[in-house]
Amino acid sequence: MKKKIQSIVLNIILISIGIVTMIPFLWMVASSFKANKEITALYQTFLPKAFTLQNYVSMNSHFNFMRFFANSLFITITLTVIVVYSSTICGFVLGKYRFRGRELLFGLILSTMMIPWCVTIIPKYTMIKAFGWLNSYKALIIPGLFSGFGIFMMKQHMETIPDEILEAARIDGANEFYIFHKIVLPMSKNGIASIAIFQFLWTWEDYLWPYLAISDRNKQLLSVGLRMFSGQYATDFGAMFAATAISIIPVLLTYLIFQKQFIAGIAASAVKG
Amino acid sequence: MFKKQHALQSKSEIALRNIVVSGTLIFYLIFLIVPIGIALVGSFHEWNPLDGTYRFLGLENYINIMKSGDFWNSIWNTILFSVVVIFFRVGLGFLCAYAIFSSLIKFKGFYRAIYYMPVVTPMIAVAYVWKFIYHPQIGLLNHLLGTHVNWLMNANTALIAIMAMTIWKDFGYAVVMFMAGLYSLPEDAMEAAKVDGCTGVQLLRYVTLPLLKPMTLFVVVTSIINYLQAYVQVMVMTEGGPGKATYLSSYIIYNEAFVKYNFGYASAMAFILFVVTAVLTVISFRVSADKV
Amino acid sequence: MRKRLVSMLLAGCMVVSLCGCGKTAAGDTATDTTSTDSGTEEAATEEAAAVPGEVFGDTVQYDPNVPINNGEDIKIDFWEWGSDELFQQIVDGYTAIHPNVQIELVNNPWEDYWTKLPLALDGKDGPAIFNIHNSYHQNIVNYCAPYDIPTEDLEKDFNGVAAHVIDGNVYYIDYGIMTGSVYYNKDMWEAAGLTDADIPKTWDDMIAVAKKLTIKDGDNIVQAGWSFNDNVNSNYLMGVNYQLGQNLFDTDNKTCVVDNDATKKVFQMLIDAYDKEGVGSKDFGTSATDSFGQGQAAMAIAWGWFNNTLQSDYPDINYGVFEIPTFDGDPYAYNRYNGESTFGINKNADEKQQAVAQDIVKYFLANDELQVKFNLAMNTFPAKTSLADNEEILSNKAMAAIADHIDKYIWPGPVPATVEDSLKIAAENVFYNDMSIDEALKTAQDTINNDLKSKNFEAVESLYKYAK
Repeated sequence: MKKKIQSIVLNIILISIGIVTMIPFLWMVASSFKANKEITALYQTFLPKAFTLQNYVSMNSHFNFMRFFANSLFITITLTVIVVYSSTICGFVLGKYRFRGRELLFGLILSTMMIPWCVTIIPKYTMIKAFGWLNSYKALIIPGLFSGFGIFMMKQHMETIPDEILEAARIDGANEFYIFHKIVLPMSKNGIASIAIFQFLWTWEDYLWPYLAISDRNKQLLSVGLRMFSGQYATDFGAMFAATAISIIPVLLTYLIFQKQFIAGIAASAVKG
Repeated sequence: MFKKQHALQSKSEIALRNIVVSGTLIFYLIFLIVPIGIALVGSFHEWNPLDGTYRFLGLENYINIMKSGDFWNSIWNTILFSVVVIFFRVGLGFLCAYAIFSSLIKFKGFYRAIYYMPVVTPMIAVAYVWKFIYHPQIGLLNHLLGTHVNWLMNANTALIAIMAMTIWKDFGYAVVMFMAGLYSLPEDAMEAAKVDGCTGVQLLRYVTLPLLKPMTLFVVVTSIINYLQAYVQVMVMTEGGPGKATYLSSYIIYNEAFVKYNFGYASAMAFILFVVTAVLTVISFRVSADKV
Repeated sequence: MRKRLVSMLLAGCMVVSLCGCGKTAAGDTATDTTSTDSGTEEAATEEAAAVPGEVFGDTVQYDPNVPINNGEDIKIDFWEWGSDELFQQIVDGYTAIHPNVQIELVNNPWEDYWTKLPLALDGKDGPAIFNIHNSYHQNIVNYCAPYDIPTEDLEKDFNGVAAHVIDGNVYYIDYGIMTGSVYYNKDMWEAAGLTDADIPKTWDDMIAVAKKLTIKDGDNIVQAGWSFNDNVNSNYLMGVNYQLGQNLFDTDNKTCVVDNDATKKVFQMLIDAYDKEGVGSKDFGTSATDSFGQGQAAMAIAWGWFNNTLQSDYPDINYGVFEIPTFDGDPYAYNRYNGESTFGINKNADEKQQAVAQDIVKYFLANDELQVKFNLAMNTFPAKTSLADNEEILSNKAMAAIADHIDKYIWPGPVPATVEDSLKIAAENVFYNDMSIDEALKTAQDTINNDLKSKNFEAVESLYKYAK
């Protein structure tokens, strides 16, 4: 009985926090079905008084939504796959091999996580321009090939893979490339899920760099598009909320689908610290 | 933990190691060391890419920053902002995670999902939504409280309002991280403690929390790095106002660099911010080491 | 070999982007029909269909029969912010005459446009032609090629060209000018028992009327008679000072002098209006224009663009516009104005592309129909002299309000953003942070002059028609 009351109280608390969490979010979604004059009106209602799909139509007048969406999906998936691979292989080498300078290299990679974007973004822009990569996806992909965070997570994760398995394979005559691709990679599912989810979210949201690097609007990304709703004199809130509501679907889906592996992966990587 | 080192280094191991190490080194050399070098050199110059100015100034940029009230004001705001947000993010995140983790809660996945929703919503949209919530007349917050406070245009509340919004957006991340930490706790340790007659509070104090320390450190350090660089919320919600009450360092760096095009001055500020980040990160490592 | 490979790749990209382009254009037109009223859309298509055969224009003329780029295919980028439909009309009209030219419009968000345009122009891949706003003059002008139209010709057709002449060259001019006027809510006006005869001519009258329009519930304001939240800097501190004969810049045209008695007087008047007369509150509404649109404020001073915002976002507000009040009915000038600029031509662009860009500018300047459309769309008063009494123009409320004294407005020059930004901080510090007016203006002036050191800005207040 006591347990039941405790459980109810705890549930009520958690649900209240959940409501606080969801209200601004739901307000945004509800507002995406309101006309702008209703969003900014003096007398506010939570649900739209005059339900309209106009925002979902008019967001296309700011930019080609589907195209930006597809571009974002392409870049995000590409980068996520690349980073997952590069992080796992670096994590494997740094975690399982012993060689001189290993700690130094790992330290260097870790310290990269601490450098504010504002230190490097100006020179990075200058360099990319000098390379002639502006306005090409090279500018988005190549500087993102490796991720300090990903390497850190995967190196930690490698500790969950027993050395005995690798030794056994080596005794069987397997070479290291085979061991990595056929044994280590499949055993790293959880770790991969966790960095994939983070990487997906970060790339999907990243705004400043794609904005600076890409100007052709056939190549532009959705995160940049979300900014196009604020004009010189006014902001088209309805369309912005509509576009945002749709734009979070992919990130939300990846999270919901891989939630279990994600949590298991983080647990394995971060707790061992 | 003892690690066995396998004696023979096969050809393929050397090959793989060389590929990975050289690839990583080249990458970080080009996209990290070189840009940092350029920025460092640039920070000693008057550097405006628009009119092609690139003139050696020596330490003048750094001296001007040290003398500038705006910068110190922004550093103070940034540190205050980061400390408060991290405290609540970690505290609230842990408490929620601990509650969800307990056997009293059934729909764990449900809570994990809704708490995570704000994390995946882009900051730009979130900031606009909250600007409405804080509106003195039509805003939801004043409606609920029955007040007419002009949250974002009051030097006493503006930064707090921005902090609250940031905590709201980000605590779900900590919830998920701590959930992960709790799931990975060794069950035998927990069982042993229970058998020894530990109360819930004792269990939390002497077993769970110490075991979660690496995770806490991880969340704290990633948060420090994150929040010292925050600027979008300020850009959208207050533009640094009222007056200069909500100047955050990254916001003025962004302004100097991409609005005023003082690349040299902006780079110098960025380096100081980097030093602050490094110092705070080291401090948090130290603090956590002392508590072992 | 490598060059060939690159050019082949480029050609491949071109094909891809061409296809992409076609799609986008089609998509845009489809949404236009739904989002704008069909009237303008039809007009646009009609115009696109009817290719003019004869030379048009006043002094600056355009001959549609002269082929451009020898009739060979060419593609150029045209950067702008925010108003795709409007710019599409230039593109449609121009490409109907010159089907060999392909113009790709690139729309950027306003705030970011100025981050990115200079960076893009500082290389080979920048747009050949781009929209300019004179507040970013310093960042842009170094990348501009001068117009290949004689300055005298421009001066014959357009007002205010002299202020844009740099070393004998013109890099852009204004096609229209915008300024601040008072927007008032006619329903509230009537409800307060006011008539057209009550339209204030002086600031004292304005405050008196505002008091009648203010409604309170106990201590709480329910309706503000007059609001100036969030635009004290741009609409008052950088404009009303002219009424008292006070310029923003010293006679050297370089030093900012906002710390002066006239500006303090204006500032004090606003503070008194809120604090002593109670016609509104700094905490009632976050922005004067929003409050006006939401039906919370009866009067607000706003610039011409607000006419657009009201029509698109707040169609239920029944409003009128009257000229800005003065202190004594005989001001040195009524207010500051600012121009909407014609387009810049990228001097780093390929020569052929530059030639096309020059041609587009000429086409735009000579084309009265486009001039009227752009001015109406932006709510600016035409700079083209032949359009000053154009009926369509005068039927617009915002323009009718300023038409009588259109020559009594001052343009201070392409004032760098730091002036407006620093005065915004000053205003917030005074209204919200209890700073004294003296200190706030002094701080602002110091910041501005410090920022101006690195810019070669020159004020043109002395070119005002009735300059002392």
